[in-house]
Amino acid sequence: MSQEEIYTEICNAIVNLDEEKAINLANKAVNEEIDLLEVIENGYAAGIRRVGELWEEGEFFLPELMKGAQIMQNCMDIIIPHLQKGSERVSLGTVVIATIEGDIHSIGKTIVATMLRAYGFEVFDLGANVPAEKIIDIAIEKNADIIGVSALLTTTMIGQKKIIDLLKEKNLTDKFKVIFGGAPVTTTWVEECNADGFADNAIEAVKLVKSLLNK
Amino acid sequence: MLFNEWLKDNSKIILFNGAMGTELIKRGLTPGKIPDLMNIENPDMINDIHKSYYKAGSDMCQTNTFGSTPMNLKQYNLEERIEEIVKNALENIKKACPEGHLIVADIGPTGEFRPPVGSATPEQWYSSFSTQAKLLEKGVDLWHIETISDIEEMITAIEAIRGVSQKPIIASMTYTKTKRGFFTIMGDSLEKCIQLLENEKIDVIGANCTIGSKEMVGLFKTAVKITNKPFSVKPNAGQPRIEGTRTYYEQPIEDFAKDIYEMIQNGAKIVGGCCGTSPQTIKELRRIIDSI
Repeated sequence: MSQEEIYTEICNAIVNLDEEKAINLANKAVNEEIDLLEVIENGYAAGIRRVGELWEEGEFFLPELMKGAQIMQNCMDIIIPHLQKGSERVSLGTVVIATIEGDIHSIGKTIVATMLRAYGFEVFDLGANVPAEKIIDIAIEKNADIIGVSALLTTTMIGQKKIIDLLKEKNLTDKFKVIFGGAPVTTTWVEECNADGFADNAIEAVKLVKSLLNK
Repeated sequence: MLFNEWLKDNSKIILFNGAMGTELIKRGLTPGKIPDLMNIENPDMINDIHKSYYKAGSDMCQTNTFGSTPMNLKQYNLEERIEEIVKNALENIKKACPEGHLIVADIGPTGEFRPPVGSATPEQWYSSFSTQAKLLEKGVDLWHIETISDIEEMITAIEAIRGVSQKPIIASMTYTKTKRGFFTIMGDSLEKCIQLLENEKIDVIGANCTIGSKEMVGLFKTAVKITNKPFSVKPNAGQPRIEGTRTYYEQPIEDFAKDIYEMIQNGAKIVGGCCGTSPQTIKELRRIIDSI
Protein backbone atom coordinates (compact mmCIF):
# COMPACT_ATOMS: atom_id res chain seq x y z
CA MET A 1 0.00 0.00 0.00
CA SER A 2 1.39 3.43 -0.90
CA GLN A 3 1.68 6.24 1.64
CA GLU A 4 -1.23 8.05 0.02
CA GLU A 5 -3.40 4.97 0.23
CA ILE A 6 -2.58 4.60 3.92
CA TYR A 7 -3.53 8.23 4.58
CA THR A 8 -6.82 7.73 2.72
CA GLU A 9 -7.56 4.56 4.72
CA ILE A 10 -6.91 6.41 7.95
CA CYS A 11 -8.98 9.43 6.90
CA ASN A 12 -11.88 7.17 5.90
CA ALA A 13 -11.68 5.27 9.18
CA ILE A 14 -12.15 8.51 11.11
CA VAL A 15 -14.95 9.76 8.84
CA ASN A 16 -16.70 6.39 9.06
CA LEU A 17 -16.23 6.47 12.86
CA ASP A 18 -14.58 3.05 12.64
CA GLU A 19 -12.60 3.00 15.88
CA GLU A 20 -11.22 -0.52 15.46
CA LYS A 21 -9.84 0.25 12.02
CA ALA A 22 -8.48 3.65 13.07
CA ILE A 23 -6.62 2.10 16.01
CA ASN A 24 -5.31 -0.81 13.93
CA LEU A 25 -3.93 1.66 11.41
CA ALA A 26 -2.33 3.71 14.21
CA ASN A 27 -0.57 0.59 15.51
CA LYS A 28 0.43 -0.35 11.97
CA ALA A 29 1.90 3.10 11.36
CA VAL A 30 3.93 2.88 14.57
CA ASN A 31 5.14 -0.70 13.89
CA GLU A 32 6.08 -0.01 10.29
CA GLU A 33 7.88 3.23 11.25
CA ILE A 34 6.02 5.32 8.71
CA ASP A 35 6.55 9.10 9.06
CA LEU A 36 4.19 9.67 11.97
CA LEU A 37 3.82 13.43 11.55
CA GLU A 38 2.63 12.84 8.00
CA VAL A 39 0.30 10.11 9.22
CA ILE A 40 -1.25 12.50 11.74
CA GLU A 41 -1.56 15.47 9.39
CA ASN A 42 -2.63 13.69 6.19
CA GLY A 43 -4.56 10.84 7.79
CA TYR A 44 -6.05 11.60 11.19
CA ALA A 45 -6.25 15.38 11.07
CA ALA A 46 -7.64 15.22 7.54
CA GLY A 47 -10.28 12.82 8.81
CA ILE A 48 -11.34 14.97 11.73
CA ARG A 49 -11.46 18.03 9.48
CA ARG A 50 -13.87 16.13 7.22
CA VAL A 51 -15.94 15.22 10.32
CA GLY A 52 -16.13 18.93 11.07
CA GLU A 53 -17.25 19.70 7.51
CA LEU A 54 -19.98 17.07 7.73
CA TRP A 55 -21.15 18.65 10.96
CA GLU A 56 -21.33 22.06 9.32
CA GLU A 57 -23.27 20.55 6.41
CA GLY A 58 -25.87 19.09 8.77
CA GLU A 59 -24.87 15.49 8.05
CA PHE A 60 -23.18 14.83 11.37
CA PHE A 61 -24.52 15.80 14.79
CA LEU A 62 -23.24 15.87 18.38
CA PRO A 63 -22.78 12.08 18.72
CA GLU A 64 -20.72 11.86 15.51
CA LEU A 65 -18.65 14.90 16.45
CA MET A 66 -17.85 13.49 19.89
CA LYS A 67 -17.17 9.99 18.58
CA GLY A 68 -14.85 11.26 15.86
CA ALA A 69 -12.93 13.38 18.34
CA GLN A 70 -12.67 10.50 20.83
CA ILE A 71 -11.39 8.07 18.19
CA MET A 72 -8.88 10.69 17.08
CA GLN A 73 -7.70 11.16 20.66
CA ASN A 74 -7.34 7.40 21.22
CA CYS A 75 -5.22 7.13 18.08
CA MET A 76 -3.10 10.10 19.12
CA ASP A 77 -2.48 8.38 22.47
CA ILE A 78 -0.93 5.50 20.48
CA ILE A 79 1.09 7.57 18.02
CA ILE A 80 2.32 10.60 19.96
CA PRO A 81 4.64 8.72 22.38
CA HIS A 82 6.51 7.41 19.30
CA LEU A 83 7.13 10.78 17.68
CA GLN A 84 10.84 11.61 17.26
CA LYS A 85 12.41 13.79 19.91
CA GLY A 86 12.35 17.43 18.91
CA SER A 87 9.25 16.86 16.84
CA GLU A 88 6.91 19.83 16.95
CA ARG A 89 3.73 17.84 17.19
CA VAL A 90 4.08 16.91 20.86
CA SER A 91 1.87 19.78 21.97
CA LEU A 92 0.69 22.74 19.96
CA GLY A 93 -0.10 24.73 23.09
CA THR A 94 -1.89 24.61 26.42
CA VAL A 95 -5.53 25.51 26.87
CA VAL A 96 -7.47 25.89 30.11
CA ILE A 97 -11.21 25.71 29.44
CA ALA A 98 -14.29 25.95 31.66
CA THR A 99 -17.92 26.95 31.82
CA ILE A 100 -18.21 30.02 34.00
CA GLU A 101 -19.56 30.15 37.54
CA GLY A 102 -23.35 29.97 37.78
CA ASP A 103 -23.67 28.08 34.50
CA ILE A 104 -23.91 24.29 34.33
CA HIS A 105 -24.00 23.87 30.55
CA SER A 106 -21.02 21.85 29.43
CA ILE A 107 -21.58 19.90 26.23
CA GLY A 108 -20.26 22.47 23.80
CA LYS A 109 -17.29 23.20 26.02
CA THR A 110 -16.53 19.47 26.38
CA ILE A 111 -16.66 18.96 22.63
CA VAL A 112 -14.32 21.91 22.09
CA ALA A 113 -11.91 20.43 24.67
CA THR A 114 -12.03 17.03 22.97
CA MET A 115 -11.45 18.50 19.53
CA LEU A 116 -8.55 20.65 20.71
CA ARG A 117 -6.92 17.57 22.26
CA ALA A 118 -7.51 15.67 19.04
CA TYR A 119 -5.71 18.40 17.15
CA GLY A 120 -2.70 18.26 19.46
CA PHE A 121 -3.29 20.84 22.20
CA GLU A 122 -2.86 20.03 25.87
CA VAL A 123 -6.22 20.82 27.43
CA PHE A 124 -7.23 21.22 31.06
CA ASP A 125 -11.02 21.05 31.21
CA LEU A 126 -12.16 22.40 34.57
CA GLY A 127 -15.80 21.50 34.06
CA ALA A 128 -18.80 23.74 34.63
CA ASN A 129 -19.79 26.31 37.24
CA VAL A 130 -16.16 27.36 37.79
CA PRO A 131 -15.32 30.66 39.52
CA ALA A 132 -13.26 33.12 37.48
CA GLU A 133 -10.53 33.18 40.14
CA LYS A 134 -10.06 29.41 39.89
CA ILE A 135 -9.86 29.48 36.10
CA ILE A 136 -7.10 32.07 36.27
CA ASP A 137 -5.23 30.26 39.08
CA ILE A 138 -5.12 27.05 37.06
CA ALA A 139 -4.11 28.90 33.89
CA ILE A 140 -1.16 30.37 35.80
CA GLU A 141 -0.27 26.99 37.33
CA LYS A 142 -0.35 25.21 33.96
CA ASN A 143 1.36 28.04 32.12
CA ALA A 144 -1.53 28.11 29.66
CA ASP A 145 -1.49 29.89 26.34
CA ILE A 146 -5.25 30.17 26.01
CA ILE A 147 -8.11 30.54 28.48
CA GLY A 148 -11.44 29.43 27.04
CA VAL A 149 -14.61 30.46 28.87
CA SER A 150 -18.06 29.23 28.00
CA ALA A 151 -21.42 30.71 29.03
CA LEU A 152 -24.75 29.59 27.68
CA LEU A 153 -26.95 32.05 29.54
CA THR A 154 -27.01 35.79 29.07
CA THR A 155 -27.25 35.98 32.84
CA THR A 156 -23.93 34.20 33.36
CA MET A 157 -22.04 35.86 30.51
CA ILE A 158 -20.96 38.62 32.86
CA GLY A 159 -18.57 36.05 34.34
CA GLN A 160 -16.65 36.07 31.06
CA LYS A 161 -15.98 39.79 31.49
CA LYS A 162 -14.86 39.08 35.06
CA ILE A 163 -12.03 36.91 33.73
CA ILE A 164 -10.76 39.81 31.59
CA ASP A 165 -11.13 42.30 34.45
CA LEU A 166 -9.32 40.04 36.93
CA LEU A 167 -6.44 39.44 34.51
CA LYS A 168 -6.12 43.21 34.13
CA GLU A 169 -6.10 43.67 37.92
CA LYS A 170 -3.35 41.10 38.25
CA ASN A 171 -1.37 42.60 35.34
CA LEU A 172 -1.70 39.35 33.43
CA THR A 173 -3.55 40.65 30.37
CA ASP A 174 -0.60 39.94 28.05
CA LYS A 175 0.09 36.50 29.48
CA PHE A 176 -3.00 34.72 28.13
CA LYS A 177 -5.24 34.86 25.09
CA VAL A 178 -8.86 34.69 26.25
CA ILE A 179 -11.58 33.27 24.03
CA PHE A 180 -15.30 33.01 24.63
CA GLY A 181 -17.83 30.39 23.68
CA GLY A 182 -21.55 29.83 24.11
CA ALA A 183 -24.68 30.62 22.16
CA PRO A 184 -25.26 34.18 23.47
CA VAL A 185 -21.70 35.37 22.69
CA THR A 186 -21.42 37.91 19.88
CA THR A 187 -18.68 39.96 18.26
CA THR A 188 -20.01 43.01 20.10
CA TRP A 189 -19.64 41.24 23.45
CA VAL A 190 -16.10 40.11 22.64
CA GLU A 191 -15.15 43.66 21.67
CA GLU A 192 -16.83 45.11 24.73
CA CYS A 193 -14.85 42.75 26.95
CA ASN A 194 -11.61 43.10 24.99
CA ALA A 195 -11.36 39.35 24.60
CA ASP A 196 -9.33 37.73 21.82
CA GLY A 197 -12.17 36.06 19.96
CA PHE A 198 -15.06 33.65 20.11
CA ALA A 199 -16.10 30.53 18.25
CA ASP A 200 -19.56 29.34 17.26
CA ASN A 201 -18.63 25.67 17.37
CA ALA A 202 -15.79 23.24 18.07
CA ILE A 203 -14.38 23.36 14.56
CA GLU A 204 -14.23 27.15 14.61
CA ALA A 205 -12.68 26.97 18.11
CA VAL A 206 -9.80 24.87 16.81
CA LYS A 207 -9.24 27.27 13.91
CA LEU A 208 -9.33 30.24 16.30
CA VAL A 209 -6.88 28.70 18.78
CA LYS A 210 -4.51 27.72 15.97
CA SER A 211 -4.58 31.21 14.50
CA LEU A 212 -4.09 32.91 17.88
CA LEU A 213 -1.04 30.74 18.50
CA ASN A 214 0.16 30.96 14.89
CA LYS A 215 -0.08 27.18 14.42
CA MET B 1 -61.87 14.02 31.40
CA LEU B 2 -61.76 17.60 30.18
CA PHE B 3 -58.51 17.37 28.15
CA ASN B 4 -59.76 14.29 26.31
CA GLU B 5 -63.01 16.10 25.56
CA TRP B 6 -61.01 19.02 24.17
CA LEU B 7 -59.00 16.62 22.00
CA LYS B 8 -62.14 15.03 20.58
CA ASP B 9 -63.85 18.37 19.94
CA ASN B 10 -62.79 19.29 16.40
CA SER B 11 -63.80 22.90 16.91
CA LYS B 12 -61.59 23.35 19.98
CA ILE B 13 -58.07 24.79 19.58
CA ILE B 14 -56.30 24.36 22.92
CA LEU B 15 -54.34 27.42 24.06
CA PHE B 16 -51.26 26.59 26.13
CA ASN B 17 -49.25 29.13 28.10
CA GLY B 18 -46.20 31.21 27.22
CA ALA B 19 -42.71 31.30 28.70
CA MET B 20 -41.88 31.07 32.38
CA GLY B 21 -38.11 31.51 32.24
CA THR B 22 -38.06 34.77 30.28
CA GLU B 23 -40.90 36.15 32.45
CA LEU B 24 -38.76 35.46 35.53
CA ILE B 25 -35.71 37.08 33.93
CA LYS B 26 -37.82 40.21 33.33
CA ARG B 27 -38.66 40.15 37.04
CA GLY B 28 -35.01 39.93 38.02
CA LEU B 29 -34.16 36.22 38.22
CA THR B 30 -30.51 36.18 39.25
CA PRO B 31 -27.80 34.49 37.14
CA GLY B 32 -27.27 30.81 37.71
CA LYS B 33 -30.50 30.41 39.66
CA ILE B 34 -32.82 27.67 38.48
CA PRO B 35 -36.40 28.98 38.00
CA ASP B 36 -37.83 25.96 39.84
CA LEU B 37 -36.29 27.22 43.09
CA MET B 38 -38.47 30.32 42.85
CA ASN B 39 -41.42 28.09 43.79
CA ILE B 40 -39.97 28.19 47.31
CA GLU B 41 -38.12 31.52 47.35
CA ASN B 42 -40.76 33.64 45.69
CA PRO B 43 -44.05 31.73 45.43
CA ASP B 44 -46.08 34.90 44.93
CA MET B 45 -44.11 35.74 41.78
CA ILE B 46 -44.68 32.26 40.34
CA ASN B 47 -48.35 32.40 41.30
CA ASP B 48 -48.65 35.81 39.60
CA ILE B 49 -47.12 34.52 36.38
CA HIS B 50 -49.49 31.53 36.33
CA LYS B 51 -52.45 33.85 37.01
CA SER B 52 -51.36 36.20 34.25
CA TYR B 53 -51.40 33.41 31.68
CA TYR B 54 -54.77 31.99 32.73
CA LYS B 55 -56.18 35.53 32.75
CA ALA B 56 -54.70 36.20 29.30
CA GLY B 57 -56.65 33.25 27.96
CA SER B 58 -54.60 30.07 28.40
CA ASP B 59 -56.75 26.95 28.68
CA MET B 60 -53.93 25.22 30.50
CA CYS B 61 -50.62 26.21 32.13
CA GLN B 62 -47.53 24.27 33.14
CA THR B 63 -46.11 23.78 36.62
CA ASN B 64 -42.81 25.58 37.20
CA THR B 65 -40.93 22.26 37.25
CA PHE B 66 -39.04 22.28 33.95
CA GLY B 67 -35.73 21.62 35.69
CA SER B 68 -36.97 19.40 38.49
CA THR B 69 -35.75 15.97 37.45
CA PRO B 70 -33.31 14.77 40.16
CA MET B 71 -30.53 14.45 37.57
CA ASN B 72 -30.87 18.12 36.64
CA LEU B 73 -31.35 19.36 40.22
CA LYS B 74 -28.15 17.54 41.18
CA GLN B 75 -26.17 19.94 39.01
CA TYR B 76 -27.45 22.79 41.20
CA ASN B 77 -26.98 20.82 44.46
CA LEU B 78 -30.76 20.88 44.89
CA GLU B 79 -31.51 17.16 44.52
CA GLU B 80 -32.51 16.83 48.16
CA ARG B 81 -35.07 19.63 47.88
CA ILE B 82 -37.06 18.04 45.05
CA GLU B 83 -40.08 17.19 47.21
CA GLU B 84 -40.23 20.73 48.57
CA ILE B 85 -39.79 22.26 45.09
CA VAL B 86 -42.53 20.14 43.49
CA LYS B 87 -44.92 20.51 46.44
CA ASN B 88 -44.61 24.29 46.26
CA ALA B 89 -44.87 24.26 42.46
CA LEU B 90 -48.19 22.43 42.68
CA GLU B 91 -49.52 24.76 45.36
CA ASN B 92 -48.53 27.84 43.36
CA ILE B 93 -50.37 26.76 40.23
CA LYS B 94 -53.37 25.25 42.01
CA LYS B 95 -54.11 28.64 43.61
CA ALA B 96 -54.03 30.27 40.17
CA CYS B 97 -55.96 27.76 38.09
CA PRO B 98 -59.60 28.75 37.52
CA GLU B 99 -62.51 26.35 37.12
CA GLY B 100 -62.69 24.78 33.70
CA HIS B 101 -58.95 25.14 33.10
CA LEU B 102 -56.18 22.58 33.44
CA ILE B 103 -52.83 22.10 35.16
CA VAL B 104 -50.05 20.54 33.08
CA ALA B 105 -46.97 18.89 34.60
CA ASP B 106 -43.85 20.34 32.99
CA ILE B 107 -41.17 17.67 32.53
CA GLY B 108 -37.98 19.03 31.01
CA PRO B 109 -34.81 17.16 30.02
CA THR B 110 -32.45 15.60 32.56
CA GLY B 111 -29.57 17.61 31.15
CA GLU B 112 -27.51 14.43 30.85
CA PHE B 113 -26.80 12.92 27.44
CA ARG B 114 -26.09 9.33 26.48
CA PRO B 115 -22.67 8.26 25.15
CA PRO B 116 -20.68 9.38 23.34
CA VAL B 117 -21.89 12.91 24.18
CA GLY B 118 -22.36 12.19 27.89
CA SER B 119 -22.55 9.18 30.17
CA ALA B 120 -26.24 8.87 31.04
CA THR B 121 -27.87 5.44 30.89
CA PRO B 122 -31.56 4.74 30.15
CA GLU B 123 -31.85 3.37 33.69
CA GLN B 124 -30.63 6.65 35.16
CA TRP B 125 -33.03 8.62 32.95
CA TYR B 126 -35.94 6.33 33.89
CA SER B 127 -35.26 6.62 37.60
CA SER B 128 -34.97 10.41 37.38
CA PHE B 129 -38.19 10.92 35.42
CA SER B 130 -40.02 8.41 37.60
CA THR B 131 -39.09 10.22 40.80
CA GLN B 132 -40.29 13.54 39.42
CA ALA B 133 -43.49 12.03 37.99
CA LYS B 134 -44.47 10.35 41.27
CA LEU B 135 -44.28 13.71 43.06
CA LEU B 136 -46.38 15.51 40.44
CA GLU B 137 -48.99 12.89 39.55
CA LYS B 138 -51.80 13.70 41.95
CA GLY B 139 -51.67 17.45 41.39
CA VAL B 140 -51.85 17.61 37.60
CA ASP B 141 -54.36 16.89 34.82
CA LEU B 142 -51.89 15.91 32.11
CA TRP B 143 -48.19 15.83 31.21
CA HIS B 144 -45.99 17.90 28.89
CA ILE B 145 -42.59 16.32 28.30
CA GLU B 146 -40.81 19.14 26.51
CA THR B 147 -37.60 20.49 25.01
CA ILE B 148 -36.13 17.01 24.63
CA SER B 149 -33.22 16.64 22.18
CA ASP B 150 -32.86 12.86 22.20
CA ILE B 151 -35.72 10.60 21.09
CA GLU B 152 -34.35 7.84 23.35
CA GLU B 153 -34.60 10.15 26.35
CA MET B 154 -38.17 11.06 25.33
CA ILE B 155 -39.21 7.42 25.04
CA THR B 156 -37.68 6.71 28.45
CA ALA B 157 -39.58 9.67 29.94
CA ILE B 158 -42.84 8.40 28.48
CA GLU B 159 -42.24 4.93 29.93
CA ALA B 160 -41.38 6.39 33.33
CA ILE B 161 -44.52 8.53 33.42
CA ARG B 162 -46.70 5.66 32.23
CA GLY B 163 -45.28 3.66 35.12
CA VAL B 164 -47.09 6.00 37.51
CA SER B 165 -49.88 7.65 35.52
CA GLN B 166 -52.47 7.08 32.83
CA LYS B 167 -53.15 10.80 32.39
CA PRO B 168 -52.70 12.25 28.88
CA ILE B 169 -49.17 12.99 27.63
CA ILE B 170 -47.95 15.63 25.16
CA ALA B 171 -44.50 14.55 23.90
CA SER B 172 -42.65 17.58 22.58
CA MET B 173 -39.17 17.40 21.02
CA THR B 174 -37.00 20.40 20.23
CA TYR B 175 -35.57 20.72 16.73
CA THR B 176 -33.10 22.89 14.91
CA LYS B 177 -33.41 23.73 11.23
CA THR B 178 -30.58 22.36 9.08
CA LYS B 179 -29.91 22.28 5.34
CA ARG B 180 -31.46 18.83 5.31
CA GLY B 181 -34.57 19.56 7.35
CA PHE B 182 -35.44 19.59 11.04
CA PHE B 183 -33.24 17.59 13.40
CA THR B 184 -32.53 17.47 17.12
CA ILE B 185 -28.96 18.24 18.19
CA MET B 186 -28.50 14.50 18.71
CA GLY B 187 -29.32 13.91 15.05
CA ASP B 188 -32.90 12.65 15.31
CA SER B 189 -34.92 13.83 12.33
CA LEU B 190 -38.46 15.17 12.69
CA GLU B 191 -39.65 12.25 10.57
CA LYS B 192 -37.91 9.64 12.73
CA CYS B 193 -39.21 11.18 15.96
CA ILE B 194 -42.79 11.32 14.75
CA GLN B 195 -42.60 7.74 13.46
CA LEU B 196 -41.36 6.47 16.82
CA LEU B 197 -43.75 8.60 18.88
CA GLU B 198 -46.74 7.27 16.94
CA ASN B 199 -46.02 3.90 18.54
CA GLU B 200 -45.82 5.27 22.08
CA LYS B 201 -48.62 5.57 24.64
CA ILE B 202 -49.04 9.32 24.20
CA ASP B 203 -51.91 11.52 23.15
CA VAL B 204 -50.26 14.47 21.42
CA ILE B 205 -47.00 14.90 19.50
CA GLY B 206 -45.35 18.29 19.77
CA ALA B 207 -42.43 20.59 18.99
CA ASN B 208 -41.19 23.45 21.13
CA CYS B 209 -38.31 25.88 21.64
CA THR B 210 -35.05 26.38 19.66
CA ILE B 211 -36.89 27.72 16.59
CA GLY B 212 -39.11 30.75 16.10
CA SER B 213 -42.68 30.81 14.86
CA LYS B 214 -41.73 31.23 11.19
CA GLU B 215 -39.57 28.12 11.19
CA MET B 216 -42.21 26.26 13.20
CA VAL B 217 -44.69 26.90 10.36
CA GLY B 218 -42.31 25.02 8.06
CA LEU B 219 -41.78 22.24 10.59
CA PHE B 220 -45.51 21.80 11.10
CA LYS B 221 -46.19 21.63 7.35
CA THR B 222 -43.88 18.60 7.23
CA ALA B 223 -45.25 17.08 10.43
CA VAL B 224 -48.89 17.26 9.42
CA LYS B 225 -48.16 15.22 6.27
CA ILE B 226 -46.77 12.30 8.29
CA THR B 227 -49.03 12.06 11.33
CA ASN B 228 -52.72 12.18 12.13
CA LYS B 229 -52.06 12.49 15.85
CA PRO B 230 -53.00 15.81 17.45
CA PHE B 231 -50.02 18.19 17.29
CA SER B 232 -48.78 20.84 19.73
CA VAL B 233 -46.59 23.80 18.69
CA LYS B 234 -44.82 26.11 21.15
CA PRO B 235 -42.23 28.11 19.20
CA ASN B 236 -39.95 30.84 20.52
CA ALA B 237 -40.72 34.48 19.87
CA GLY B 238 -38.23 34.59 17.01
CA GLN B 239 -34.45 34.54 17.54
CA PRO B 240 -33.24 36.70 20.42
CA ARG B 241 -30.97 39.73 20.00
CA ILE B 242 -28.22 39.74 22.55
CA GLU B 243 -26.73 43.00 23.72
CA GLY B 244 -24.07 42.61 26.36
CA THR B 245 -25.72 40.40 28.93
CA ARG B 246 -29.31 41.22 28.07
CA THR B 247 -31.55 39.25 25.76
CA TYR B 248 -34.24 40.92 23.70
CA TYR B 249 -36.98 39.00 21.94
CA GLU B 250 -38.17 41.60 19.49
CA GLN B 251 -40.48 39.72 17.17
CA PRO B 252 -43.73 41.70 17.04
CA ILE B 253 -46.53 39.78 18.70
CA GLU B 254 -48.67 40.26 15.58
CA ASP B 255 -46.09 38.39 13.48
CA PHE B 256 -45.94 35.54 15.99
CA ALA B 257 -49.72 35.37 16.10
CA LYS B 258 -49.96 35.33 12.29
CA ASP B 259 -47.67 32.30 12.17
CA ILE B 260 -49.70 30.55 14.87
CA TYR B 261 -52.89 31.31 12.91
CA GLU B 262 -51.35 29.70 9.83
CA MET B 263 -50.49 26.60 11.85
CA ILE B 264 -54.05 26.43 13.20
CA GLN B 265 -55.36 26.65 9.63
CA ASN B 266 -53.01 23.78 8.75
CA GLY B 267 -54.35 21.65 11.60
CA ALA B 268 -52.46 22.42 14.82
CA LYS B 269 -54.50 21.31 17.84
CA ILE B 270 -52.52 22.91 20.68
CA VAL B 271 -50.72 26.23 20.35
CA GLY B 272 -48.68 28.33 22.74
CA GLY B 273 -45.33 30.02 23.07
CA CYS B 274 -41.89 29.23 24.45
CA CYS B 275 -38.93 31.53 25.19
CA GLY B 276 -39.64 35.23 24.75
CA THR B 277 -43.43 34.92 24.74
CA SER B 278 -45.54 36.55 27.41
CA PRO B 279 -49.12 36.97 28.65
CA GLN B 280 -49.50 39.65 25.94
CA THR B 281 -48.65 37.01 23.35
CA ILE B 282 -51.24 34.65 24.78
CA LYS B 283 -53.85 37.41 24.88
CA GLU B 284 -53.34 37.96 21.15
CA LEU B 285 -53.52 34.22 20.45
CA ARG B 286 -56.77 34.03 22.46
CA ARG B 287 -58.21 36.83 20.34
CA ILE B 288 -57.26 35.02 17.14
CA ILE B 289 -58.60 31.67 18.28
CA ASP B 290 -61.88 33.19 19.40
CA SER B 291 -62.29 34.91 16.04
CA ILE B 292 -62.00 31.66 14.07
